[in-house]
Amino acid sequence: MGGAKRYDVIVIGGGHNGLVTAAYLARAGKSVLVLERRPRVGGAAVTEEIFPGFKFTMFSYVVSLLRPEIIRDLDLPRHGLHILPLESTVTPMENGDYLAAWADHDETRRELYRHSPRDAEAYDEYGHLMHFMARAVQPILSMVPPDPTSFAPGDLVALLKLGKHFRGLGAERLHALVKLMTMSSADFLDEWFETDVLKATKSASGIIGTFLGPRSPGTAYVLLHHYMGELDGVFRAWGFAKGGTGAVSEAIASAARSFGAEIRCDAGVSKVLVTNGKATGVVLENGDELRASIVVSSLDPRRTFLQLLETSDLPSDFVSDIKRFKFRGSSGKVNIALDSLPTFTCMPDGGPGGRLHRGAVSISPSLDYVERAYDDAKYGEFSRRPYMDIVFPSMIDPGMAPPGKHVMSIFVQYAPYHLNGGWTDAKREAFGDAVVNTVESFAPGFKSKILHRQVITPLDIERITGLSEGNIFAGELALHQLFFLRPAPGWAKFTTPVRGYYQAGSGTHPGGGIMGASGRLAAMRILKDGK
Amino acid sequence: MSAARWDAIVIGAGANGLVAAHYLARARKRVLVVEQHQTPDPSADIGWVAPRVIQELGLRDLRVEAPDPWITIPLANGGTLELSRDVSRSTEAIRRLSPADAAKWPEFSARMHTLASVLEKLYLAPPPDIETRNPRELARIGGLGLYVRRLGKQAVIDLARILPMSIADLLDDWFESDALKGALGALGIWHLKQGPRSGGTAFNFLHHHVGSAAGVFRPVQSNVTQTLEGLKRVEVRRGSRATVLAKNGRATGVVLEGSGDTILAPLVVSSADPRATLDPLAIELDPEFARAVGNIKARGVVARGTLTLDRPPSYANLCIAPSLEYLERAYDDAKYGRDSAAPYVEVQRTDGNRLELHVQYVVPGTHEGLTERVAKTLNARPDQIALQPAHESLYHGELTLDQILFMRPVPGWSRYRTPIEGLYLCGSGTHPGGGIPGAAGRNAAREIV
Repeated sequence: MGGAKRYDVIVIGGGHNGLVTAAYLARAGKSVLVLERRPRVGGAAVTEEIFPGFKFTMFSYVVSLLRPEIIRDLDLPRHGLHILPLESTVTPMENGDYLAAWADHDETRRELYRHSPRDAEAYDEYGHLMHFMARAVQPILSMVPPDPTSFAPGDLVALLKLGKHFRGLGAERLHALVKLMTMSSADFLDEWFETDVLKATKSASGIIGTFLGPRSPGTAYVLLHHYMGELDGVFRAWGFAKGGTGAVSEAIASAARSFGAEIRCDAGVSKVLVTNGKATGVVLENGDELRASIVVSSLDPRRTFLQLLETSDLPSDFVSDIKRFKFRGSSGKVNIALDSLPTFTCMPDGGPGGRLHRGAVSISPSLDYVERAYDDAKYGEFSRRPYMDIVFPSMIDPGMAPPGKHVMSIFVQYAPYHLNGGWTDAKREAFGDAVVNTVESFAPGFKSKILHRQVITPLDIERITGLSEGNIFAGELALHQLFFLRPAPGWAKFTTPVRGYYQAGSGTHPGGGIMGASGRLAAMRILKDGK
Repeated sequence: MSAARWDAIVIGAGANGLVAAHYLARARKRVLVVEQHQTPDPSADIGWVAPRVIQELGLRDLRVEAPDPWITIPLANGGTLELSRDVSRSTEAIRRLSPADAAKWPEFSARMHTLASVLEKLYLAPPPDIETRNPRELARIGGLGLYVRRLGKQAVIDLARILPMSIADLLDDWFESDALKGALGALGIWHLKQGPRSGGTAFNFLHHHVGSAAGVFRPVQSNVTQTLEGLKRVEVRRGSRATVLAKNGRATGVVLEGSGDTILAPLVVSSADPRATLDPLAIELDPEFARAVGNIKARGVVARGTLTLDRPPSYANLCIAPSLEYLERAYDDAKYGRDSAAPYVEVQRTDGNRLELHVQYVVPGTHEGLTERVAKTLNARPDQIALQPAHESLYHGELTLDQILFMRPVPGWSRYRTPIEGLYLCGSGTHPGGGIPGAAGRNAAREIV
């Protein structure tokens, strides 16, 4: 090992957060090495050709909230990032009707008017409020959470600033914020709308990645996420990256390399080396040791602390906090190669220009439907009739499938990680059948068009990406696991109890679903500490 | 019309209405209480009565019952788990179920008690006004912050972490025994249309722990309403429902249903449900405010009632909530608009061997077979059970995180005032809410005076 190169920083994990951290640090002149266990970068944001000619973004499927400042700072479009809009959402209903949200605002209003004039009236006011609230919350996503238990002047000033920010919102909006933070999406939407299918579809976006149902308090907040992407005018709320989400990771990796970072795949890390309470490097799974002054883990908190370190390296309170951190993965994914597009009963021609298939199809016909899907999961079963968010990436980016064929990505909830009796191959297929049969009930003939099917359970997500319990956000986004509590009280500022060891994954503030923000904040923190 | 005989009319002769009336009377106001029911409700008052109320109103005849053991939990194997006021005795009892749980009981009890003490501090005053620029109020908020910080780092973290949690997550963090978690978890869902897995139920649990000793997770019972009636310092007129009269944005008095009699007073204080109080005045209200009142979540989920046994039972408080999952399934039924197939049932023995029932979840509907199911749960005959399902929340507003403190009864109107000048609210629909008889009444009266 004698003359091995010594790096300023080693980043463990080449998911998007790890890559963002690496890119920012390299840009600031550090020598950076990224170590990725899998043969390709991207973590949960990878595109793979699962069946010959059919490419899938295996886990995540839409680009939701990649921070615009990251796109700008890293000049991602130059590195191949190309976001294609995903402009509509159609929800087929059980009675054969549908509810659609189109790119054109007026058209959406007319559609809503068809269901309820009252809701169409409320829609704009609701949109204004949510837009404003998203703006109010946004600065919090890009701040390092102050520690309210600390008496350090920095924390006190930050807390006061935060208090001032909230008071600056004015009473009415402050109250709306309290409601958003504490209510269930169903209750929150009840105050605005009467159309059940509208509330179901809107609240469905509040349950993604959580082990909660639309009637569970704490789900209203996620309704805001939908409005955040739109703010900066970079792209619409939900987009689809050309080449799949893997292309996003590739673009960030390319940016990192252009700044001089080195990225090594097939290089899993087994341990972080700690000497006298300070991180000094890592040990690879093949036994190689690599040295660096700073080690950053972009893995989830459980693996960052309980797997890569010895518990003796950490204070025991901290270890129990991390052990208590909840994951409970609840989502699965079914990737399907199609001979031709399915026909939905509610819109047999797929709408003008076949636009149904260019947007998302949400299987959320009623609040009770989604709530019942959750009930199954609460008691340890996968949903017999699950909530699904379906997209046809090949309709947006034809390169994803052979000519004339299509790929279909189905995000499914709920599939609990802790399934009664555990996940087996038979259970996985039964879960896949439940998904396919449910789609079939809204699109008869769908099954006969399936060429291949890949079913991914939370256990598979854990096995392949390493995300503990298959939680796509690297830890539940519940109120008690956010902000200064993410991942543990006192350690929400990207530092860890081990000097020179930092955390940068979605398990830190602000958490998953807000792509790259944690990685960027961690890089800022490291650069600040280095001064 | 001649000058009004009364300075103030209080609607409702429950604990909050009477407490408000007595505080107003102490401030030399001529007070009339109007109550719709002809005869006083014989049921006990459940919840902590603040010592300050007892002392300030001189409630010498107040009897507070704090049974020991405070709960009896039937076990699946036929035995029972009894938890005592003495933490070490409870620890011993729990040890027979789970040594691990027993080991954690003392610390759990202490930590929860510390958190409840913070709520207690907040409950005997109007909720902090977070929009204020008033230096005195800012100082008070600062003082509260300092008080919490002085409790130590752990308390600050616990407050932030635990209040929004679900009671199921909280209890799963600590314990393994289903019977213990079921009985504790039941307190977290009291009067809520939420199940134990719903966020914010840990707050509801702590709310109902306020005023109890460490390690006691059922509120006391008392005869506070009866005692207040016995004071005879204010006149109570019974038997007709009163509706507030208002003109040009000002309260002028009340009109009694039936007789149509009008009683005039420049000040009307209602301990009734905020929605019931304000709905008849909709024409006088700003539409935004009216909408907020309409949006108060006050869904009925509880049936109270009585159990008549041939012989007095050996327990003081029997809890049928064998596990968190049992409670969650009971809630599932309510979600879809049905009474629980297997409801959570609690029997509370009051003074004079009256056995009162708390049955949850019971939602508006026909309640078919409910009595039989409750009887079966208790190994009793249906004719021994009398239930009164509530159409609306008995707390006049569920104690969810979006409906407490400065959000209660509606955001921005938490100081007992209403947009109608001279009309105040003082019932459990206002801060600090149900389960703490008299606290809202006292806070409101002090705010008025």
